[in-house]
This record gives sequence, structure tokens and C-alpha cells, in this order.
Amino acid sequence: MKAYQADIAKFESNDTQVFGISVDSVPANSEFAKQIGVTFPLLSDFKRTVVKDYGIFNEEQGFGNRATFIVDKDGIIQHIDVGKDAIDATRAADACNVLTHKKAAQ
Amino acid sequence: MRITRLLSAFVVCLLCSIASIAQQTAPPKTSLKVGDVAPDFTMRATDGKTYKLSDFKGKKNVVLAFYVLAFTGG
Repeated sequence: MKAYQADIAKFESNDTQVFGISVDSVPANSEFAKQIGVTFPLLSDFKRTVVKDYGIFNEEQGFGNRATFIVDKDGIIQHIDVGKDAIDATRAADACNVLTHKKAAQ
Repeated sequence: MRITRLLSAFVVCLLCSIASIAQQTAPPKTSLKVGDVAPDFTMRATDGKTYKLSDFKGKKNVVLAFYVLAFTGG
């Protein structure tokens, strides 16, 4: 999450909304956000329905795996990072950049 | 006899390579792929608002950064 916070300017300049998502409760996420200084909203998937819809629910552990999805303005997934790749926000930021320029060129 | 031995060695090799491929493609993974429609959701956020993914349609790109648990690294 810290990596995304560090790159937030890059994302926002690309007309992009960033969300952090976990299965934690809203109060737990609020405390976490305060602790690490995150300014974008953290969403609470307390019922674990979203992690299941996105196919990243870890049955054994009871929570979601790390993953980043980039959804374009048409609601279509344009980029996916799963596991270790998703920790680094650079790839996601670059993908957003490509997306913005692609859309602008059309 | 010799052919049987050769054949069994071949089978063992084949099984090993299948096993290693299976291991490589094991998790992490997702059932979604690029080009799929992002499943819609409504979730409560730390800023007190409730966000719906489809509300951003035609307005903004959305980055969904799923993290494992709060108070953990990364």
C-alpha cells in the first residue's frame, strides 16, 4: 500500500481513482491507513464477496491474495498483477499511463 | 527388457516435467483475465463513503489494489 501512496500523483494525473481493498473491517482499515499515511480510500470487503468475484480468495487462509486490477472507463479489465508483481506499483502506474494515452489517441 | 526399461525411464521423465509445469502455474492466480468485464461491487471505505465500481464508468480508470491484510507490509 505504501508503494501506491508514493505513486499516487502519477495515478491521479492519469485521471485514475486508486482504491486499496482487503477483507479487513472499516475501523481496522482506517487505523491502518492512519498508520501508514495512505490518502486514497481503503475499501472493506468484509463479506469476502469481492475477492471471490475477482478469483483471488484464498480458501485455506480465509482472505484475498495480493493482486492489482486496472479497470478502464468502459469497465473492462486492462491490466492484472498477481502475487509479488502486485507489490510494486510501478507496473500498474505504467499500465495506467499507456491506457490514458491509448484512449486519448482514439 | 531393455525396451521396457527405456519406456519406464521415459514415463518418469514425462511425469516429472508435467509436475514441474503444474508447480510453475500454481498460485498466485486469478480467474479473471485482461479484456474481461470487471465484476461490479459496492464497498464501504475508510473515508466514510460507499463506493460502487460502476459509478466510475465513463468517468475514470480505476486501480483496485487488493492487499492481504491491514498492518502487514507491502
